[in-house]
Amino acid sequence: MKQKSVKIGITSLVLVLALGGLLYSTLSEGTEFYKHVDEVMVNPEAWHGKNLQLHGFVVKDSILRKRDSLEYRFKVQSKGAVIDATYTGIVPDTFKDESEVVLKGRLDASGFHVAPNGVMAKCPSKYDAKKGLTGPGA
Amino acid sequence: MASLGSFLLMATLVVSAYAIAASVAGARRGSRSLVESGVGAFYLSAALMTAASAVIIHAFVTDNYSLKYVQHYSDLAQPLFYKITSYWGGLDGSIMFWVFLLALFGSLAVYVNRDRHRELIPYVVAIISAVQVFFLFMMIVHKNPFETFLVQAPADGRGLNPLLQNIYMVVHPPSLYIGFVGMTIPYAFGMAALITGHLDDSWLRAVRRWTMVSWLFLSLGLTLGMIWAYEELGWGGYWGWDPVENAGLLPWFTATAFLHSVIVQERRGMLKVWNVSLVIITFFLTIFGTFMTRSGIVQSVHAFGEDRTLTWMFTVFMAAILLFSFAWVIRRLPLLKPRYDLDSWFSREAAFVANNWILLIAAMLVLFGTMFPTMSEALTGNRLTVGPPFFNRWMAPIGLILLLLTGVAPLLAWRRSSLASLREQFVWPAVFTAVVTVALVGLGVRVWTSGICFALCAFVAATITQEFVRGARVRQEATGTDRLTAGIGLVMRERRRYGGYIVHLGIVLMFLGFAGEGFKTDQQLLLKVGEEATVRHVTVRNNGVKVTEDAQKQMVTGHIAVSENGESRGTMYPARWFYRKHEDQPTTEVAIRRTVAEDLYLVMPAYDVNDQSMSLQVVITPLVNWIWAGFGVLVLGTGIALLPERAFALALGRVPAEASTT
Repeated sequence: MKQKSVKIGITSLVLVLALGGLLYSTLSEGTEFYKHVDEVMVNPEAWHGKNLQLHGFVVKDSILRKRDSLEYRFKVQSKGAVIDATYTGIVPDTFKDESEVVLKGRLDASGFHVAPNGVMAKCPSKYDAKKGLTGPGA
Repeated sequence: MASLGSFLLMATLVVSAYAIAASVAGARRGSRSLVESGVGAFYLSAALMTAASAVIIHAFVTDNYSLKYVQHYSDLAQPLFYKITSYWGGLDGSIMFWVFLLALFGSLAVYVNRDRHRELIPYVVAIISAVQVFFLFMMIVHKNPFETFLVQAPADGRGLNPLLQNIYMVVHPPSLYIGFVGMTIPYAFGMAALITGHLDDSWLRAVRRWTMVSWLFLSLGLTLGMIWAYEELGWGGYWGWDPVENAGLLPWFTATAFLHSVIVQERRGMLKVWNVSLVIITFFLTIFGTFMTRSGIVQSVHAFGEDRTLTWMFTVFMAAILLFSFAWVIRRLPLLKPRYDLDSWFSREAAFVANNWILLIAAMLVLFGTMFPTMSEALTGNRLTVGPPFFNRWMAPIGLILLLLTGVAPLLAWRRSSLASLREQFVWPAVFTAVVTVALVGLGVRVWTSGICFALCAFVAATITQEFVRGARVRQEATGTDRLTAGIGLVMRERRRYGGYIVHLGIVLMFLGFAGEGFKTDQQLLLKVGEEATVRHVTVRNNGVKVTEDAQKQMVTGHIAVSENGESRGTMYPARWFYRKHEDQPTTEVAIRRTVAEDLYLVMPAYDVNDQSMSLQVVITPLVNWIWAGFGVLVLGTGIALLPERAFALALGRVPAEASTT
């Protein structure tokens, strides 16, 4: 009986360690920081090159689209802080002036570059707590 | 009407509380009449909830907008059908619907088992009533669907979100709820068995069928959710590891584990503690899932909408469930000793144990990934999120291992497999798999997760076929009929086993579909009117954008001429619909051309009515229909496994041999 519990203990320990190690390694490359625009703009350099999910609101009349292309430029703000953003691709229906968005991408000196399919906009919906996000991946 | 509804909810709360007190007191004092009155009160709670549901449906149908809930989720223009289903369209109503289902199922379960499991019934009633009391309490103090406007009621409602106005969203939530709520029944029986100490296998027999039915509905709910996401959301996929989806998947994993490990307990008297724990965990996860999706603690964009009261109520309730349940498990440990120990790792029970571990690890990983943002924020102050890549990375290998075990387990013997039997069992499936693998390499399948998945699908399909063929051959020799009759007889004789194999076959087909994801093409195009573009073998041509209207909405439709390898395939119509009152939220109407091999999936995210240009998303998703087909097979298999004994005797119409005339 004793021997058996020792065996089980060692097996579990090895499994837990292996799993933990794997988890740690996948997490370190796959995670994204979820930040509001104002939090990032306190010290933007610190966030350069990190995977970010940027939360903010689209600035009114800031959305520009290059003619005959899917290239967008727009500004997002929260609590007065503003970032320029660029994106190429299809935006969800709910992406428009003043809508609340979460953008996946990276920051550098020229602004925030949204990854492909990285625009998620919150619908101003009645369907509050269930599927609040629309757009790719939501 | 509103006050009647509120009154009914309160009455149900009181009656349920009485049911707890009376049945527990009755059981402890051995008073038959007290228990009977508890059971009666329990049935009454179901009747009261039915009445309350009738009241809210009546309010929807008669457009009674003095109720905030009705005003929020319905409007005059809404078709009758959606008015009725708006009952579960929002948070408050969905909780009420939950209680309604629970009271109904609970009553049915108690009624069916009232004689067979008499000693368990009082505690079953008490446990289910306690869950009811929690949800009723929450509704009455915090989320009452019968809340009215204090001032003048609006003349019209705001209307149900157009995204939800389709058949899948009508069927999807209730089937998930049925799955969730149904898991309360096994939990109640499990706890009753723990409390009374009647821990032989009889409680398992009472709940096996319930678990299977709930599992089926859970699977149905998840699949419908996938179809909905695929057809309505217009991003070309069906599973995004969204917290809401994950919430449904968690109890599915543990319930699947339970359905397998229960067989081991029946056959070998092992895994007793494990099985009660799985029942408890599954129930816990259904509550946890409800909490996760309703309180807004998880979704990042919803962080602002966090409902602290709800969070507290649920946290207390969940902690209470865990403490109460596992305290009883620990207390009854001496009664839960296994009859046998594991003899060998090359045995079927060992394969089942492995399958259980992996399902549990899968559940834990999904839970971990879903809760990671919340946990990281609590621990470090930085909200870190993990996305689909994390889940895909982990779940793909886990899925493949499970698929492998699906093939291996039935080939192993109970207790211990001899080398000779291993050889005999594995030869044909292994040969077949090798052939398929060579063919895959020959065909140049580059995506190796998908390649492995195809090979494993071949392996599992081969083992299942082998099981059927061998079984049918034995039966054919024994009964002297033809092969087909023998095969059908075989399935009918051991319905759970062969029904289970058919379920596995469905899973194999679904995995084929999942593997197709590896070969997906997704391209975004900009097309002027008359312009053509080619994506792989598909050529699309913009024939213009047209605007039409009907009573409910305005429709902007793209006319796309499609040809494949130069052969015309007609016109497809991706569209945007603008529902009145929801003009700022157009819905995406995907155009899908389905074939056995692949779907052509067109979305028109943007357009210009003046110059008739559009942006067009062209997605080619290979094998996706196999997922839906596989689910159909899964339903069939589960149905066979669920067939009651009597139906089977009737179906076969067995006549005593001497009565037959030639």
